[in-house]
Amino acid sequence: MQKMADPEVVDIYGVKWSKWAATLSRRFDIIVAIVLFLAVLSAFHLHFMLLAGDWDFWIDWKDRQWWPTLTPIVAITFPAALQYVFWEKFRLPIGATFGIVCLLIGEWLARAGGFYLWSDFPFSLIWPATLIPGAIVLDTILLLTGNFLLTAIFGGMGFGLLFYAGNLPMLAAYRLPMEVMNTMVSVGDYIGYAFTRTATPEYVRLIERGTLRTFGGHSAVIASFFAGFASTLMYLLWWYIGKFLARVVWVPNKLKTAMGYKKDRPSASEAVAV
Amino acid sequence: MNTMEAVHGRSEIVDRSPARFISVRGAVMAILGILVVMVCYRTYQQMFAFSAGLDSTLPEFDTYWMNLMKIELAVILASYVALWSYIWFTRDKHLDKLPVREEIRRYFTLVLFIMVYAFAVYFGGSFFAEQDASWHQTVVRDTSFTPSHIVLFYGAMPLYVLFGVGSFLYAMTRLPKFAENISVPFVLAVVGPFLILPNLGYNEWAHAFWQIEEVFSAPVHWGFVVLGWSVLALGGLLVQVVQGLIECFQRADAETPGVAV
Repeated sequence: MQKMADPEVVDIYGVKWSKWAATLSRRFDIIVAIVLFLAVLSAFHLHFMLLAGDWDFWIDWKDRQWWPTLTPIVAITFPAALQYVFWEKFRLPIGATFGIVCLLIGEWLARAGGFYLWSDFPFSLIWPATLIPGAIVLDTILLLTGNFLLTAIFGGMGFGLLFYAGNLPMLAAYRLPMEVMNTMVSVGDYIGYAFTRTATPEYVRLIERGTLRTFGGHSAVIASFFAGFASTLMYLLWWYIGKFLARVVWVPNKLKTAMGYKKDRPSASEAVAV
Repeated sequence: MNTMEAVHGRSEIVDRSPARFISVRGAVMAILGILVVMVCYRTYQQMFAFSAGLDSTLPEFDTYWMNLMKIELAVILASYVALWSYIWFTRDKHLDKLPVREEIRRYFTLVLFIMVYAFAVYFGGSFFAEQDASWHQTVVRDTSFTPSHIVLFYGAMPLYVLFGVGSFLYAMTRLPKFAENISVPFVLAVVGPFLILPNLGYNEWAHAFWQIEEVFSAPVHWGFVVLGWSVLALGGLLVQVVQGLIECFQRADAETPGVAV
């Protein structure tokens, strides 16, 4: 914000404002930031928990096949839509990171308040995965290129590839093998087996149907590449969904007369001219 | 300095301090009220969900849970009638003569109203929604009215509808731009989350007759997902509010002696 010669006038990115209007607009920004934080947290969390939540809730669902495939595909949606709004409307290169941080805050609050304090599951079973590395890459590529197509291609691929890699430091210990009742399982599988969830299908029973036996290895890398490819396509789709939902559309209010509304005001330009 | 002067035959704010335009007291009170209600809900669950909420055929289930639901429904319906009626019947019928500084004040009140709405949505869309998994994936349900659902579906979710519809009515009855025309993004941002309530019928029907096991990512839950996407329309509403405020600032500056920008 650059001060002009007139103490009552300030210049914000080339637009002249009265000091009073500039102060109010800054207060407006703060309120809007809080609204966006709460709204994005709620909507994105609802979306994520009902499309990929099961894999995120439980350590024994964090497998090498579906978890690294599904999670980035589902999670790149809101970041792409938010990047459209933040970048195209306000030139802010933080849409993806903002969305992911909102999601993670919502997840941690619910895991602590619901899964841990209410249902007594340990955090070793219920920790949420992180998506922050991929989100930072998405925002960085959009900032550097200013191009949504390049962001989709390189950022989307990075978002998919970095998911499993970014979580590996937290996950590695749960991939260690152990023997239970003459059967080799991972530590993560055994924690899930030990804490009974009566109304949940047992995940190991659901997916262990193939002959490819590995705790991670090549299959996790392949799943990540596929997730990167699908994330690229999802990014493009959701960029346009963000564009569609953020359109400024008005339709005439047919209840206007019934509301007691007498007549329309003069337009803004007419009012200023007066 | 709260002096008023007559402009176009109506009272006009001449005090230009930001506090005169942004009154956060009402929003803070509403947010604290919601927080207190939600903490009470969560504490009640902690005390009586596992002790009296596992078997819907027992008398204590009626005492602790069905009675809570009946109270919730009565209170929330009364709240709908009270708040929405108040906003409607106290509407401004002379919006064509609205002074510009009063219009700016109302824009800020609208955004604070939406902040309260978003705060209420957090509990219905995030906290209690994901906590629902920790209940249903842990215990077998024998009724649609579980201790988790009674708080989530009949407490937290109807509460955000109160503020969502309230904020929409506020804009429609107090702000000229929103009275002259209907904001489609605003409609989406309010109606989408509202429709999650009727979608409960499908959810409960499906869980009763089709999918007894609880997998959160099952197709039976995707209706909630699609309706939740409508919150992104707040982006369009934000642009509309910003455009309206900029117009107001320009008009206010043009009317103020000594501030020519």
